Amino acid sequence: MSNWAILSGIEANLEAYEAVLTDIKRQTPQVTDLYILGDLISATKDSEKVIDRICHPKLGEPIPQVCKGWWEEQCLILHGFGETDEPTELIQKYGIATAKELWDNIPKSTVEWIYNLHFAFMELDCLLVHGSSISVSEELSPQTSPLQLFDRVSRAGANRLFCGRSGQTFRYHIKDGSVCSTVTSLDKTAPSQTFETTERVIIGVGNVGHIPHQATYALYSPNSDMLQFKTVRYGSGKGFQ
Amino acid sequence: MKIAVMSCIHSNYEALDAVLRDIDRAKAEKIFCLGDLVGYGPEPHAVVEMIRSLDIPTVQGCWDEDIVEGLNSCECSYPSVLAEHRGRFAHEWTKEQIYPDTIEFLAELPKTMMYENLAFVHGSPHSQHEYLLPELDGFIALERVLSTGADTLFCGHTHVPYVRSLDAGQLNIRVTGTKENQDSTFTAPLKRIVNAGSVGEPRHGRPNATYVIYDTDTEEVTMREVEYDYQKTCAAIIEKGLPKIFAWRLAKGMEYAERADDASHLCERGV
Repeated sequence: MSNWAILSGIEANLEAYEAVLTDIKRQTPQVTDLYILGDLISATKDSEKVIDRICHPKLGEPIPQVCKGWWEEQCLILHGFGETDEPTELIQKYGIATAKELWDNIPKSTVEWIYNLHFAFMELDCLLVHGSSISVSEELSPQTSPLQLFDRVSRAGANRLFCGRSGQTFRYHIKDGSVCSTVTSLDKTAPSQTFETTERVIIGVGNVGHIPHQATYALYSPNSDMLQFKTVRYGSGKGFQ
Repeated sequence: MKIAVMSCIHSNYEALDAVLRDIDRAKAEKIFCLGDLVGYGPEPHAVVEMIRSLDIPTVQGCWDEDIVEGLNSCECSYPSVLAEHRGRFAHEWTKEQIYPDTIEFLAELPKTMMYENLAFVHGSPHSQHEYLLPELDGFIALERVLSTGADTLFCGHTHVPYVRSLDAGQLNIRVTGTKENQDSTFTAPLKRIVNAGSVGEPRHGRPNATYVIYDTDTEEVTMREVEYDYQKTCAAIIEKGLPKIFAWRLAKGMEYAERADDASHLCERGV
């Protein structure tokens, strides 16, 4: 039986990551697989500490499976390895000073490690990705168009899509649906055809490091399809879950 | 008002001339072009010049983009190695034929155009390389129209004209794990995809040029098939040293060996 812990958006917050790891260790049944859906780093120098911790799990901890996030993509763009040539999105969102900070705080050896990260993981019928099946930048949330969500799961050939870009925890269940299609060509009109969906689920796994003293992540059992969202309070704001 | 929509002229000046005459006879007041002005055929420069001189609003096709950006297609563009070799040869030949200012014109073409409640793209709103085939999953097709905000989406790229109505679309949804859990039903009004076919490289089984006329008042779509002297274009293809198979398939109006294997494939490039 496998039990997954899925998290995203550590954003160089080592204290938050440690708190989540402690919470993961407490789980029954035991977590067998740990997926980190990108945004391990931010522009700060603490990014290196987080990457070092991820690369060196302690005895008994699951080995993290890590894919690329938005911050990692911005780092690659700065170094000329990204999908685009210019760090336009980074500068628009955080300004040039942050772009310089990101450049200064991520050493070249780490850039190489980031370059080798996967875009996504396909496990069983689940796609695990930072943004969506088309981009690390795309934010999927309950406010996204239902057909857009359907498209992003379907185009990966998956039934479940786990993502972290929005930072929200949510389970968006497309239960069923239908659409009637009629095609007329030059020579004939084909009989109308009704397309029906099988269920698809889009899951937001929360965010570990962005909000101080409060981390969220997801536990998922692929065998039973059980999903649980966890909120971990740590540091000075620590309390019961 | 009647508008004419044409696509995929592919350097076939004879076909373009015949279609423009037909549009004139049909008294369409406006013309839109869905790109792929160049590639395959023998008259790339003449075709681009005609479109420019008539000031026809045009979106960029995948061939137009490749001439500007260089060949960068994902492997789905060619179904076989032979087809890829022929495509690359035609790409290089076309690039040698056209002038720098023509390349500049192609580079500046928009990827999407809107006119009232109509959207115009070459392949799909997501990519010039994506095929919106008539058998594409109904929900994916509906998403492509809705992503533009239009009621009718005009596209080309497949070279086979069709009109597809997508009606009574609905999805039943349950959202949990947020502050407010809720059940809802998403419904979509009637939307349409109109594929304009191909002026210069048809693949509907006959060599005639195809395009569509749309009446903005009645919302009626008429698929037009125009006979022209295709043999003249075939002769020019051979005379100019382009692959003979381009002439053969133009004469047949079929792609045969270069037909895409996987009709449901969604190209990931450029999305």
